[in-house]
Amino acid sequence: MESYEPLPENRDPVVHLDRQFWIVTAVLAVLAALSILWWIWAPITSIMPEAVDKAQEIDALFRFLAASGSALFIFVCGYVLYFSLAFRRHAGTPENAVGIQIHDNNKLEFWWTVGPTVFVVLMAIFSIRIWYGIEIAPGNTLVVEAIGHQWYYTFRYPNVNGEVKEMHLPLGQPVTLHVTSGDVIHSFWIPDMRLKQDMVPGLINTMEFTPTRPGKYEIICTEFCGMFHGDMHSGTKENPAYVYIDQPAQYAAWYARMERQQANASNAITAPASNQLKLAGGDPQAGAKMFATKCSACHALGPFDQRIVGPGLKGVLYDPAHPQLVDGDQATPENVAKIIENGYKGSMGQMPNQTANALSNKDIVNLVAYLKTLR
Amino acid sequence: MAATAVHAGGGLADHIHPEPQGFVRKYVFSIDHKIIGIQYMITAFLFMILGGMLAELIRVQLMKASGGLMTPETYNEVYSIHGSTMVWLVIIPLLTGGFGNLIFPVQIGARDVAFPWLNMLSFWIFPVAGLMLYASFLMGAPTAGWTEYPPMSLQGQAGTSMWAAAIFLIGVSSTMTGINFLVTILKMRAPGMTYTRMPLFVWGQFVTAPLLMIATTALGAALAALFMQREFGVAFFDPARGGSPLLWQHMFWFYSHPAVYIMILPAFGMISEILPTFARKPIFGYKMIAFSSCAIAILGFMVWAHHMFTSGLAPALQVPFMVLTMLIAIPTGVKIFSWVATLWGGVIHMTTSMMFAIGFLATFTLGGITGVFLAAVPFDLHVHGTDFIVAHLHYVLVGGSLMGILAGLFYWYPKMTGRLMNETLGKWAFWLFFIGFNGTFLPMHWLGMWGMPRRVAMYDPQFQGWNQVASWFSFVMTAALILVLINALWSMRNGKRSGHNPWNARTLEWQIPSPMPYYNFKHVPSVFAAPYDFAEPLPYRGLEEELTGAPPPVPAAH
Amino acid sequence: MAVATVTHPGFAGHAEEPDQLYVETRELRIQGFLLFMVSDLVLFSSFIFAYLYLRNSGQGWPAGGPKLDIALAAINSIVLFGSGATMHFALENWKHGSFTKFANWIVMTIILGAGFLSGQVLEYIHIGARWDSGIFGASFYTLTGMHGLHVLGGIIYLTVLLLQAAQGKYTYTKYTGLTLGTLYWHFVDVIWVVLFSIFYLL
Repeated sequence: MESYEPLPENRDPVVHLDRQFWIVTAVLAVLAALSILWWIWAPITSIMPEAVDKAQEIDALFRFLAASGSALFIFVCGYVLYFSLAFRRHAGTPENAVGIQIHDNNKLEFWWTVGPTVFVVLMAIFSIRIWYGIEIAPGNTLVVEAIGHQWYYTFRYPNVNGEVKEMHLPLGQPVTLHVTSGDVIHSFWIPDMRLKQDMVPGLINTMEFTPTRPGKYEIICTEFCGMFHGDMHSGTKENPAYVYIDQPAQYAAWYARMERQQANASNAITAPASNQLKLAGGDPQAGAKMFATKCSACHALGPFDQRIVGPGLKGVLYDPAHPQLVDGDQATPENVAKIIENGYKGSMGQMPNQTANALSNKDIVNLVAYLKTLR
Repeated sequence: MAATAVHAGGGLADHIHPEPQGFVRKYVFSIDHKIIGIQYMITAFLFMILGGMLAELIRVQLMKASGGLMTPETYNEVYSIHGSTMVWLVIIPLLTGGFGNLIFPVQIGARDVAFPWLNMLSFWIFPVAGLMLYASFLMGAPTAGWTEYPPMSLQGQAGTSMWAAAIFLIGVSSTMTGINFLVTILKMRAPGMTYTRMPLFVWGQFVTAPLLMIATTALGAALAALFMQREFGVAFFDPARGGSPLLWQHMFWFYSHPAVYIMILPAFGMISEILPTFARKPIFGYKMIAFSSCAIAILGFMVWAHHMFTSGLAPALQVPFMVLTMLIAIPTGVKIFSWVATLWGGVIHMTTSMMFAIGFLATFTLGGITGVFLAAVPFDLHVHGTDFIVAHLHYVLVGGSLMGILAGLFYWYPKMTGRLMNETLGKWAFWLFFIGFNGTFLPMHWLGMWGMPRRVAMYDPQFQGWNQVASWFSFVMTAALILVLINALWSMRNGKRSGHNPWNARTLEWQIPSPMPYYNFKHVPSVFAAPYDFAEPLPYRGLEEELTGAPPPVPAAH
Repeated sequence: MAVATVTHPGFAGHAEEPDQLYVETRELRIQGFLLFMVSDLVLFSSFIFAYLYLRNSGQGWPAGGPKLDIALAAINSIVLFGSGATMHFALENWKHGSFTKFANWIVMTIILGAGFLSGQVLEYIHIGARWDSGIFGASFYTLTGMHGLHVLGGIIYLTVLLLQAAQGKYTYTKYTGLTLGTLYWHFVDVIWVVLFSIFYLL
């Protein structure tokens, strides 16, 4: 081992970048410019329409971020690839060959610190401007409340008694949307609006926007909220998780209808009328099919103690060890139907209600008929 | 102690324990940092197999929009435990307890960490806590993801409390490791090993240790509060009783954002070792890389609420958290540029380790860029809680941390076993991994933007196509990892003998025999410069006898 | 306390022996212990943050405040601060080589610590709230309970130190354990200052 002598300061050799480097740089610059052009004109709206005014601004920010991000990515990866190939050790290179011994380049390091700093400042200014627009409410807004439940949404409108299942908004009218939750944290996201707020129990979050494009848009939950979180979007449930942006006249008609309906049957959703079903005439086979799609994820066909999430349902109406249902009621078909209808929450955990499970009254009748056959 | 007079200040460093005899003291309850490091690695890789199996269950479930493989409840358990495993039982233990323990004490010229017994305790808590985490499956595992937001986690099954207890224990272990490492680096560097001469891997550990020590304790408080709430009804988070669900998010993310840097800073350190070694070139901008690590660690404590932009954070807080988060892009950018510049003008030996390190540059850059996107509140409002987040976090944790770990595994494997891993198999594994990884997670970017939420057992059928693409590529990625595992096991017996310094590297661990002897150094070396001048002689004195048959040092009397 | 009359072996023999190894080990232990206290401080800070957050989130905080007995708490605080002073004297006396005085002062510290704990028990009975009765109970009992456990731990720690000292584990110049014990006790005092301020004065 050779003994060590201290090295002089500023020992870096003076280096020059060769023509190849500049050619590669030019190619990368062209690619980066192309990617920027792509993001400026990318047909975002043909995939995802912009349903509200804020969506356009957020898309503009996204175009800016994506353009600068992909340009940066092209340069970094381009150089990595180029250097890895160009400076690869060749078969003939001696074992002890070393690279160019440079340690630092103050000018270069200065500029690649200042560059990102400038970029970050620009990005921050851009983001804050758009954020300010999102946060600040225009005057004269329509105030709507959205409430998350496991696993559906309901809405409240001024002068409408109780909660309604669909959300309708008039085109061009600024909206203040208050979101909250009745049980756990949900989220209220409409991808076509590019907006989202969590629905936190005990807290009211606010969204401000003005609908600019009529249509029917999906609402999606993005905050984990329990077993059927994945179903908490449109299309799979009877409860339509949609927002409808209507022409003002259409909206007015819908609103008047809601006012009338809800005045007659207040709280139609929160407390469904019970024991109204006629349980006679159910079809056990249809019930069996329904059981396989809707119930078997949580209920086994084995004895009571064979739990998946809820208890096993073998002989639920005849089980001498469990003469009562889990809510304490007698094990009668009517009471079973009541649990399917209203759901259950208690010592055994919880079970979604009829609405959340997307069961029609007919389905319940069939299910009860099927459960009767299990002995 | 007389021999130490040669090197002033080497007092404690020359103090060694007598080498234990007997299998249990040597390999099971060992206090040797190298054995403990290997124990960490083996345990963490075992947990990685479990966590990886869970990941594949997730991907198989998502091949069909209607789910199908598992019930939603089981699926929720699976991804919750997958996340918890990978964060707490795989990446953090591998980077700190594993590679940290194994390498950095040697790199600073110490004979062990400051508190060897504490180190042993840290390790043994880890498998116990890991088994507790998996035991929670027996009582109904947690279902609310690795973040376990209340009130969902308050309704969760009994295993959620078990989860909290297990992670609390892991936290205790991490905190002790952090204290241990920090004291070691502050107090036990060899003579001449100034802060600006420390290898950058040591810098990585040096800035990670305070994060481990401070942030993890905050997580402990959050977990204790969750446990008390669940088991004793103490109202911290339950909104029905005056508690606040957002309080948990604050407490959790105050830990978990620094935890992100716990999971990446040591990997940065590894990359900063591997790139110069295989490019035969000094690391470009040593001081800026070290300084940017510090900046990232400090900023890391001030940005936690960027995980809560949609949760109902006060508007006045959103802007500062957004701007501070964006600032992190600057030191991170400086690091990436420095690594790229390190490649320029080198003589690049394209070993498997180097390929993983270069792959890291590409994938981590993408993960970093999407991270900056997410810092911008308006854009975050759109993609928060979607697959875009899943893509981003896997790009930094798999494309960043895990790529770093694999690069480090191929690089330091000889220091553990005295043998090299198989290069051909390794290169196959790299390409399969690189392709599989990108194929799995790249589509999630647009899936998330189009409306696919995360943590769902079933989803809108329109997303099924890309989900299937992701799933098929994930099998490729898994195959690559199995290949690495086979390689590591096979090479233990059959690998080419490496000699003490197969890569011609210049840090201290390569100047002593492989595998490293119990006492690390026969004489503690003196250090005269940072270890990156490949054209110069080694900047150490006192290593003359390391590779000779000279007798090892005599253990101190007590 | 029988030890008070014993001529202590720790002061005889190898008192002034230079020992490089010992000095450096001491540095490590002190450093490690300081860092341990930092992380302990983070633990308290987290719960203090939780308390302030819950208190200001405006939901269900007891109207007019819970009935805390500020007089009792003030007396209790003085007892605890007094124990800090006695601990200081104990260590000073050790440095000056007086084992008897050291032992007396440390016993005094332990008694004052126990007195503080009894005062806390009185306060708990007086308040009458429950740990699980709401957010006040959650934050007050968790924080003061954690502090109480730290005091209890401190009492045990000091007792162990006293016994170790009696057996001759420490000397004039090698008394790191005692220094750390003193540090810990002061740390517990400082935490109490913060807790007292936020619960009784805020």
